[in-house]
Amino acid sequence: MALMESLVRVLASEAPRHNITQIKKVKLTVGALTHALPDALRFAFSVLREQPLFAPGAELEIEERKTRCRCRDCGADFAVEGNLGFLCPGCGGFAVDIIQGRELQIDYFEGD
Amino acid sequence: MQIKLGQNLLGANGVIAGEIRRLMEEKGIFLLNLMSSPGAGKTTLLEKTLTALKDRLRLAVIEGDVATTKDAERIARLGISVVQINTHGACHLDAAMVRDVLPAFDLDSLDLLIVENVGNLVCPAEFDLGESMKVVVLSTTEGNDKVLKYPLMFREADALLLNKIDLLPFTDFHLDELADDLGRIHPGLPRFDLSARTGEGMERWIAWLLAQVEGHRRR
Repeated sequence: MALMESLVRVLASEAPRHNITQIKKVKLTVGALTHALPDALRFAFSVLREQPLFAPGAELEIEERKTRCRCRDCGADFAVEGNLGFLCPGCGGFAVDIIQGRELQIDYFEGD
Repeated sequence: MQIKLGQNLLGANGVIAGEIRRLMEEKGIFLLNLMSSPGAGKTTLLEKTLTALKDRLRLAVIEGDVATTKDAERIARLGISVVQINTHGACHLDAAMVRDVLPAFDLDSLDLLIVENVGNLVCPAEFDLGESMKVVVLSTTEGNDKVLKYPLMFREADALLLNKIDLLPFTDFHLDELADDLGRIHPGLPRFDLSARTGEGMERWIAWLLAQVEGHRRR
């Protein structure tokens, strides 16, 4: 809910700058590591879209991103299944950088 | 019309955290973000840690709590400057909450400021408070599954305190399993097995923390 309130704050300041009075759609990218559950986000959005900033029935699209890491030793780029296993499957190295999965981003919004 | 933003939802938090980090650097203060699930023993651990350090460092505490002031009262009894933040239901502290209470402290006369975050292993890991270091407390009574269930918290942490080791014989907690799981999530994570209640293992943790604070000050 706090995340969605943050979303509303961002949109409430951005929409007037683009002369948009009613938002019809918002697209988010949500990484697996953030623990932001898409269903919970959708529920929170369904409550918050009742306010005048949003058109009736405004839509929320969520693109989910899996966790990916890159090994600092051998450079391998690998997916981390179910948030586990931050060890490089190539060389067994553990100095890895998370390169995907921490996103919590508003990609765009649409409206009139 | 479609408006591209590409903006991080927590972007505003990150900006404020950056301001806090710069301010702490300027004042030479080590900001410690202490996190755990509810009941892991954070406040008792904090009381013992503060007692051990209060003659050696200038200390203050920010207590995060959903609704009560119980923890802050416990810290204030030690004669340590403490400010309570009630989150009114929010499950974590954010950078703005921390920034807003900083004027309550004399920042020119502090070495170590400890933030006791709200008891929760999920959201606090996501919110940068501008801290110098994140420490997570896990207790033997919580079971072994926490590390794998909340990997981000254990991945983000700079140290792990395993509390309540005095209760090991009465639990199903396995130290080997903890070591294996940490090896998958965060190999090399400094870990201190201790009991805040009995004091066992506390010295190693205190010495390590002191070294971190002093190392930070010399930078």
